[in-house]
Amino acid sequence: MHIPDGYLSPATCAVAGAAMLPVLGVASARVERVVKERHAPLLALGAAYSFLVMMFNIPIPNGTTAHAVGAVLIAVLLGPWAAVVCVSVALVIQALFFGDGGVLALGANAFNMAFLMPFAGYGVYRLVARNTSLTSRRRALAAGIGGYVGLNVAALAAAIEFGLQPVLFHSSNGTPLYAPFHLAQTIPAMALAHLTIAGAAELLLTAGIVAYLQRANLPLLRINHPGVVDSDAELPPARARPALRWALIGIATMIVLSPLGLLAPGGAYGESAPVDLNLQQYGLSAIPSGLQHYNGFWKHSLLTDYGFASGRHASLGYVIAAAVGALAVGAGILLFVAIYRAFARRRPGIQAG
Amino acid sequence: MGVGATPAWLLAAEPALPPIGCSGRRRRGGALEKTLDGLAQVVRQALTSEEIAARPGLLQRLDGRAKLIGALILLLAVGLVRHIPVLAGLYLLTLVLAAGSRIGLRWFVKRVWLFIPLFTGVIVAPAMFSFITPGEVVLPLGRWFGHEVGLTRQGLTSAGLVVCRVATSISIVVLLALTTSWPRLLAALRALFVPRLLVLVLGMALRYIFVLLDSVSEMVAARRARTVATRRDGRGARAAAGFSGGALFGKAHSLSEEIHQAMLARGFRGEVRLLGRSRLRGADLIGLGVCLVLAALAVGGDRALGL
Repeated sequence: MHIPDGYLSPATCAVAGAAMLPVLGVASARVERVVKERHAPLLALGAAYSFLVMMFNIPIPNGTTAHAVGAVLIAVLLGPWAAVVCVSVALVIQALFFGDGGVLALGANAFNMAFLMPFAGYGVYRLVARNTSLTSRRRALAAGIGGYVGLNVAALAAAIEFGLQPVLFHSSNGTPLYAPFHLAQTIPAMALAHLTIAGAAELLLTAGIVAYLQRANLPLLRINHPGVVDSDAELPPARARPALRWALIGIATMIVLSPLGLLAPGGAYGESAPVDLNLQQYGLSAIPSGLQHYNGFWKHSLLTDYGFASGRHASLGYVIAAAVGALAVGAGILLFVAIYRAFARRRPGIQAG
Repeated sequence: MGVGATPAWLLAAEPALPPIGCSGRRRRGGALEKTLDGLAQVVRQALTSEEIAARPGLLQRLDGRAKLIGALILLLAVGLVRHIPVLAGLYLLTLVLAAGSRIGLRWFVKRVWLFIPLFTGVIVAPAMFSFITPGEVVLPLGRWFGHEVGLTRQGLTSAGLVVCRVATSISIVVLLALTTSWPRLLAALRALFVPRLLVLVLGMALRYIFVLLDSVSEMVAARRARTVATRRDGRGARAAAGFSGGALFGKAHSLSEEIHQAMLARGFRGEVRLLGRSRLRGADLIGLGVCLVLAALAVGGDRALGL
């Protein structure tokens, strides 16, 4: 994912570099405060470590090997701001002293791998790890998933930077001046490589190292996890609400899966419009007058037939209708709960849920 | 046979043992081998650049700051140029500079171009076809659903541009890295207003990469020495990568504590001091001026050729 010089226009490099400068400024200030005067050697060794982690070849379950970037690993071990500094320094060393990766493109590379990757990955790590103990398996897995997500976010950013080049920079006869591929080609190509092989390497190494440190060297994990208890036994008893949680998970899954309805052929059983009814099947000669009268008496619906009134963009309309519907139902339930609680508080006899 | 005499099997001339050394088939391409190769390459590159930077040559005589700024100016020019002949001219210039700096030309060209077909060539090749870069078809390859498919002028130009630009850029950076000793290159970074703290961290990281690299090589070599299985064991190798990565972080952390104590013992109070700057000499300014003029000529000439 190291972008060499020549693929990105100088203008793109300048924009990415300008975006990276304040990040580095904030990172060095934050790091200075967090790791105090010990920062210089710790950051230097972190940078050296980050450089070497990129050398570890990991066998992937499909039989090949790949190496990881390790930015999320550093973020888990030393904090995301320290990871910004460590990975940036490692990238500078690679570009300037080893001629690996571009010098003009350093800003773009640092933005992808030293900023987006550790922050996105660390966010996912915190989200998945929640408040588990330092030695729980979930924490190691969370670090691995964070690494996987972080790497793919960085790859997506690189794909977007590549894909914008032919759109923004081409000569009068349509010759692309820098990277020649469009977004529709760069994003699938990068996603395919990083969702599979490179992502697997990142996941395996990040989770493997955190799992090893959990067993062998817990003090190292405590550097960036002050106040996290060591084992599950020390955790304060969690408020048990498994029923509500599983209900929410089930509803969320159904919401996520709702676009599947676009793939389903035919209509819903028993919901045909009166004109579509097979009247002979029911022994009728005409549409019953009541059905005729009340069908379609409400003509003010926002998204008729789960789509726009104009009938265009049917799929988009379906998805929007699903989202609006889910939000409306959710808001209705919240409103009901709020009213119920307000009444329950007023009458002390009922325990508030 | 009397008691205490040497047992017969020990005196046997040819014990029924395989010869010492590598008798089994060595599998290439395993994770351990690749890791060792990568580590060895880092050391090899560092040694080569140290050796070349010490040779008496054209670029070696210039100050690091002048070279760094000159290289950045030339890189920018390479980025702005839009015609293959101009890029080819700039590439020839790097060859002249390499020859003047006593870098073996064959080795230099190989160092740059070995990287290019591997990455750039494979990536850019599809761009020559009309389905990626539409335009005037110069080499028709047939028809596909009624559309003419082939290599387009625009696609070929674009692929050539990217390959030439990548080659010239890498040549410039490799020239800079090879002809400047690392402490001088670090000092030059200060001239680009890189914060002191970052320069200090960079310098220390550069120094300790090699200390940690020794640890990794030893760990990997020891792991390989203990491995007798001929069957490839992906699970075990993955676990080993986790162990060595974790152990390496432990080493790096304890090393950083020791370095910090050593710094305190030598009177470090949080202020970062770097080596004093030397004055730029006339030759450095001339070199910088030549870079500027060449860059301006290249970009100006390129614009004169049309957009």
